[in-house]
Amino acid sequence: MRKLKDNLLKSLIYLSAFITVGILVWILGYVFSNGIGLINWNFISNEYNEKTSYVEVKITNTPLSINQESLNEKAFYNQKVDKPLSDAIYSEKLGIAVMEVEHSLRGKKENQFIVAYIENGSEAGEALDKSGKKIGINLGDVITKIDGEALEGKDLKDLNAIVSGSNESLVKITKPGYGVLTNIVTTLYMIILSLSIAAPIGILAAIYLVEYAKPGKLVNVIRFATESLSGIPSIIFGLFGMAFFVVFLKFNLSLLSGALTISIILLPVIIRSTEEALKSVPDAYREASYGLGATKLQTISKIIIPSAIPGILVAVILSIGRIVGESAALLLTAGTVAKIPESLFASGSTLTVQAYYVAKEEANIQMACAIGIVVIVLIIVLNILAKLISKIFNKANY
Amino acid sequence: MADKIKFIIKDLDLYYDTFQALKKVNIEIKENKVTAFIGPSGCGKSTLLRCLNRMNDLIDNVKIEGAVTLDEIDIYGDIDVINLRTKVGMVFQKPNPFPMTVYDNIAYGPRCQGIKDKKKLDEIVERSIVQSALWDEVKDRLNKSALGLSGGQQQRLCIARAIAMEPEVILMDEPTSALDPIATAKIEELMETLKKKYTIVIVTHSMQQAARISDDTAFFLSGEVIESGKTIGIFTNPRDKRTEDYITGRFG
Repeated sequence: MRKLKDNLLKSLIYLSAFITVGILVWILGYVFSNGIGLINWNFISNEYNEKTSYVEVKITNTPLSINQESLNEKAFYNQKVDKPLSDAIYSEKLGIAVMEVEHSLRGKKENQFIVAYIENGSEAGEALDKSGKKIGINLGDVITKIDGEALEGKDLKDLNAIVSGSNESLVKITKPGYGVLTNIVTTLYMIILSLSIAAPIGILAAIYLVEYAKPGKLVNVIRFATESLSGIPSIIFGLFGMAFFVVFLKFNLSLLSGALTISIILLPVIIRSTEEALKSVPDAYREASYGLGATKLQTISKIIIPSAIPGILVAVILSIGRIVGESAALLLTAGTVAKIPESLFASGSTLTVQAYYVAKEEANIQMACAIGIVVIVLIIVLNILAKLISKIFNKANY
Repeated sequence: MADKIKFIIKDLDLYYDTFQALKKVNIEIKENKVTAFIGPSGCGKSTLLRCLNRMNDLIDNVKIEGAVTLDEIDIYGDIDVINLRTKVGMVFQKPNPFPMTVYDNIAYGPRCQGIKDKKKLDEIVERSIVQSALWDEVKDRLNKSALGLSGGQQQRLCIARAIAMEPEVILMDEPTSALDPIATAKIEELMETLKKKYTIVIVTHSMQQAARISDDTAFFLSGEVIESGKTIGIFTNPRDKRTEDYITGRFG
């Protein structure tokens, strides 16, 4: 009887552990199996929106350095979404090869002419738009017109014949979209910006609480406030951020509003962990330092903070996790514009906001999952990086 | 020849909140002598030691009455505490080197005083380590972590660190209680040489240690000085019954 009870309990314990691991593996598996199909270099390096522009390409008359067969082999196309319909056709004048493919993304199929090869010596990569800004033709770009002639429906046997100019040729290209470069950059901006606001304030506040403040009512109030802040759901901060930063201070939906709101969310995390790190510095160090005639500031800056650095870095790692993972507050304060923000006052969407956006507004689960993979990888990379830094600091200490 | 008096402690009362830790303490500490404070745990000897460089300032709710003078200057008057602590160095019960290299540990104090010249720092570091009889053991590992040294070496490093400030007085709070007999012997030997240059005040639990190394001894009990005077007198011919009981091991 007792044995049965023991076994029952044991199996319950085992089961609970397996359920936990199982759910984790299941979720990760779901995200990866759905998203991995989209993950390739283009997904990382493309912006979210397609971008069409006219560029002027200098005519170079570069002969093809390889034969047609190896050109077909080398031809660049995204095998997951593109199906080649023709050979790669080379134009000596432009120094690029174009290939017709059937492009299928999100259920739609269309025929496109993509840049499949760029010869050494071609000026295509240096192509400028009308205002003189360098755009450059890259592999995978879609070409719709050359010198006013639409490529669609044309037999491209002789691409050279379409190029009418002798010095320059006007090419209409479309940079493919549906990438997350925009969101990665915005996320990194958000991390840098909010950390540079929250980290100094949080660390200094923790120093005040541990080293300067006399225990009493004020400290208790501050502690209570930080603890309460860390328990409030981020959407509430988002609402506040929207009301105060976006509307009242007229920052609009912008990087700055988002970063300020996130900073408020981060403060309790940073203060609490920094406090713990400072408290764990032995009092013997403080005594020894004072005993040697060091001032309070010298003791803090030369002994206490260096000893607490690993703990402070943990706070920063946790914060980065919060920033990358935050979506509710940012949705309300930084907006969903999938463009790399040009200034502090421009709107931009981070990876998680973008995942929400494509899943909810475009019902594109595949892309949301692909973004999920990028977020997971980004967090892992940042964690490893922070650990490395912490190790270096530790070595410098000992 | 009359010995010069370094510290005069006059009618010193000290309260932690409402608890009176020192009661009307009167002692004189002579220059270039080793003065030992002995007594059972909690009798106030460490508290008094910490009064001498105002380390008690770091603790909240401490109230001090009476006077402590160093070279006839009241150290609880209008003086610079930082300056006082450079003059009155301290070595603690547990060796507490900073988590830095041996070199940085010793250069810490001088650097805090604004000495940046590398040559001068090198000179101070070498002199301090030589004086604390540690040179042969650490000369090859000046740039290694101080935490890698043995306990006895760490404690001598702490003494070296105090010496680097060129203090006039070195306070030692049970400096050998965490060390083995060999390391203890080395530190006692070191004190013997150091007292030629510095005034040393040591708190110790070991009566033998007090008898071996000190010139003067003060016996504390419940915050009061029961008896103080020449060590030899106290150990061979105590005037007070309680002193006799303590040093013969009848209580404490």
